[in-house]
Amino acid sequence: MRRVDAGSIVFLFAAVALLLMVVLPLGWLFATSLQQHDTGRFTLANYREAFTAKIYLSPIVNSLILALSVATIAVAAGTPLAFLMTRTDLPGRAILRVAIVAAFVTPSFLGAQAWMLLAAPNAGWLNKIWVALTGAAHGPLNIYSLAGAVFVMSLYNIPYTFTFVSVALGSMPSEMEDAAAILGAHSLRRTLSITLPLALPAIVAGFIMSFLEALAEFGAPAFLLIPARAQVITTQLYLFFQYPSRVELAAAYAMPLLGVTAVLLLAQRRLLGRKRYTMIGSKGTRRNLIALGKGRWPIFALALVPPLLSVGLPYLALLGTSLSRSWGRGPVPGNLSFYWYHWAIFDNPEAKNAILHSFSYSFVAATISLAIAVTVAFAVSRKLVPGGGLFAFVCMAPFVVPGIILAIGFFSAYSHPPLLLYGTAWILIVAFATRFLPIAFSNLMTALQTLSVDLENAAQTLGAGRIRTLFSVTLPLLRTGMLSAWLLAFIPALRELSCAIFLFTPSTAVMSTVIFDFSDAGNFEAVATLGIVIMAMTLVLVGAMYRFLGRSVLEAQAT
Amino acid sequence: MNSSRGRFIVVTGAAAVAATVPRIAEARKKPVTDADVSKLYDAAKKEGKVVWWTAHFAQEAAEKVRDAFKAKYPGIEVEFIRQTAQVIYQRLSQDLKSGVHELDVFASTDEAHYLELKKQNALAEFTPADVDKIPAQFRNLDPDGYYQLGSLAFIIVNYNPAKIKPAARWTDLSDARFKGQITTGHPAFSGYVGNWVVAMNDKYGWDYFKNLAANNPKINRSINDTVTDILGGERTIGAGPDNLSLFKKAAGNSIDIAYPQDGSVLIVAPIAVLKDAPHPNAGRLFENFMYSKEYSEAIVKQGHFPMRSGISSMNGMTLDKIKWMRVKAERLASGVPEVVAKWRETFGV
Repeated sequence: MRRVDAGSIVFLFAAVALLLMVVLPLGWLFATSLQQHDTGRFTLANYREAFTAKIYLSPIVNSLILALSVATIAVAAGTPLAFLMTRTDLPGRAILRVAIVAAFVTPSFLGAQAWMLLAAPNAGWLNKIWVALTGAAHGPLNIYSLAGAVFVMSLYNIPYTFTFVSVALGSMPSEMEDAAAILGAHSLRRTLSITLPLALPAIVAGFIMSFLEALAEFGAPAFLLIPARAQVITTQLYLFFQYPSRVELAAAYAMPLLGVTAVLLLAQRRLLGRKRYTMIGSKGTRRNLIALGKGRWPIFALALVPPLLSVGLPYLALLGTSLSRSWGRGPVPGNLSFYWYHWAIFDNPEAKNAILHSFSYSFVAATISLAIAVTVAFAVSRKLVPGGGLFAFVCMAPFVVPGIILAIGFFSAYSHPPLLLYGTAWILIVAFATRFLPIAFSNLMTALQTLSVDLENAAQTLGAGRIRTLFSVTLPLLRTGMLSAWLLAFIPALRELSCAIFLFTPSTAVMSTVIFDFSDAGNFEAVATLGIVIMAMTLVLVGAMYRFLGRSVLEAQAT
Repeated sequence: MNSSRGRFIVVTGAAAVAATVPRIAEARKKPVTDADVSKLYDAAKKEGKVVWWTAHFAQEAAEKVRDAFKAKYPGIEVEFIRQTAQVIYQRLSQDLKSGVHELDVFASTDEAHYLELKKQNALAEFTPADVDKIPAQFRNLDPDGYYQLGSLAFIIVNYNPAKIKPAARWTDLSDARFKGQITTGHPAFSGYVGNWVVAMNDKYGWDYFKNLAANNPKINRSINDTVTDILGGERTIGAGPDNLSLFKKAAGNSIDIAYPQDGSVLIVAPIAVLKDAPHPNAGRLFENFMYSKEYSEAIVKQGHFPMRSGISSMNGMTLDKIKWMRVKAERLASGVPEVVAKWRETFGV
């Protein structure tokens, strides 16, 4: 009996953690939106002000324009890419795949910074080259514009549609296409009338995902849209937190974003349905690849454009800047040095601490996510507690909460007694753990469902309690699944910005917030260097995942 | 040494009881003595570090101030962040509201912040030893000694001399020849820019900015962004800081400054130690350091205006050679929020 009690205690612990991580912050967010600024009395005035003042309405319009454009472009580029990669004999598919994963793990604020170096109207390298070649007065590109933000954010959203559609195309039964082929339909006709309609749910899901990502994104708009003089919802939320801060107004302003996100994500889940589980195995039917013939190389060149714009040029720009003593002089001999790397890693305590913080906070956060995910997933999938579905729902709930809104909820709940976490590392750690809990949880559920319960039953028959069974049977079998769940929480935590920007104080600054701080006053070298450091750490981890866990892991995350 | 009697009293007081911080604070606007300073240093070494949030300097200049302090007072680490004034003020306000104490020395460029912090009883009273070594008009910025001058600067016209002739007056910035050429910071972020916008608004009315908007200026966050824009070739002229512009000019870049005929805007940037500073002695020692010769010499090399009289500025300019205007703290308190709201309306950001 004692063993059973221990199991209940562990589960109770996870339940309390969920209450504190998910229920309380969202509850506080809602309560705050109904409070008067100073008195804390009930009011609807925050909603009235947030949704009637012209200055607060134009960001909403801009956000919608931005999100719709980003989603459209990302789908328009991601769908053909997915088709080419899964259904044709396109050359260089391995390289393209690596580049798409690299784009997927690149935070778009770094992409934005890189494109500022490349395409600022006068100072951008590409514009300068253009002016030098053509003798024109101005270059054609202006990254400081709504169009510029759409461009940059689209690039980093292509991987969503790409992954959804690739998976759908890979797992699609081939009978209908075969039938069409037998009936004499050529490959284009087959693609348009059979394959694409079948992939439509995945395409729509990709569109929704990118739409929501663009709506909730803070980094790239903050870098590009202040000079462009166009606010979006997230930059406006940030401004509400600037002096004099209006947390109540921010909470009210955030509500529709939360609603829209929840509704659309549920719709997207329905579209993808249960397919996501069957896709991970991706047994796929053997089918003949469409031969591109003479078009192979031109099409390859075309397919190379998105990775070139999202990874090639930006990393070149960041690397060049980080290796320049002074970026204005460009990466030329005499200006090249490791000064900024030395500065970031040894000289500057702020940067040095931020690297340590990012690493340690993400480490602890991913571990917390994993511990809760394991406990709840085990209890739910083995039906050990009543109401397991509710726990699973709470674990997945943060998925529909944009990071910036989760941060405002955390801030509302934990910046005052009785639970004062603001000012400590814990508010960041718990926020990261919450934000990436759904990733860890859904991966573990998947892994658990593939495990047979026979061994567990055998252990229990032999007298082992729940905890003992969990530790000596289930967990060892789940090792790979747990490692991948941990990494999938750790990697995004390492570069999280939209939560951290609201919750850090200077003594708990992490790499993303330090990058954001350095991004004003033109410290481009520092920004580029820290960006390269983050990405080096991330790419090493991603590489390790591929090596040890196989490629399907990352695709599982994207769905 | 015109106040030797007062100093004597402090010393006896400090000697009678251990030189604790509150005891020194009782000095009541009388500057601390050298003996106090060495006691501060001893106590500060035990604290080990000082935390400093500054809007006074660009990153590199702040690093040089840190280095100069560490050279004079080995054994004490300086942890600093450099951000725009409104950002560090917001972070401090939030800390105070949540009861978080992580900051020792607050260095904003919006004097109004100190009026508010003083009202909230968040600042410690402290008067540096060499307060009489700075120009008389800036001594004891706060008559009660809760904050002191920490840096002087001018907002001037900075420009790329290879590409453009500067504006002679602030009003010239709305000339058609500057269309698409201008760069500025943002008054909701930068304390310098807040000072400048209130000054222009009070002198010329808000139409000044409506006219400026027609020239499509590039709006950044920090005033130091103007220097970046000019060096990178993004824009050619700005309402910028004298210090960083002069520093970059001395380093051989194509940038220069012009003092507008209708008056540069003087930035009187204060410094204060927090009442609940986690390192109270190191904080006071650091504030005291800002009145030292070493500090003035270090910042002059970064293009900053010296604090102490008798040390010449990088370009040899003195306060009486420059035509300048200054916005008083009381006016900044009402004016900055007012112009930020108008700015958002006019510039859309």
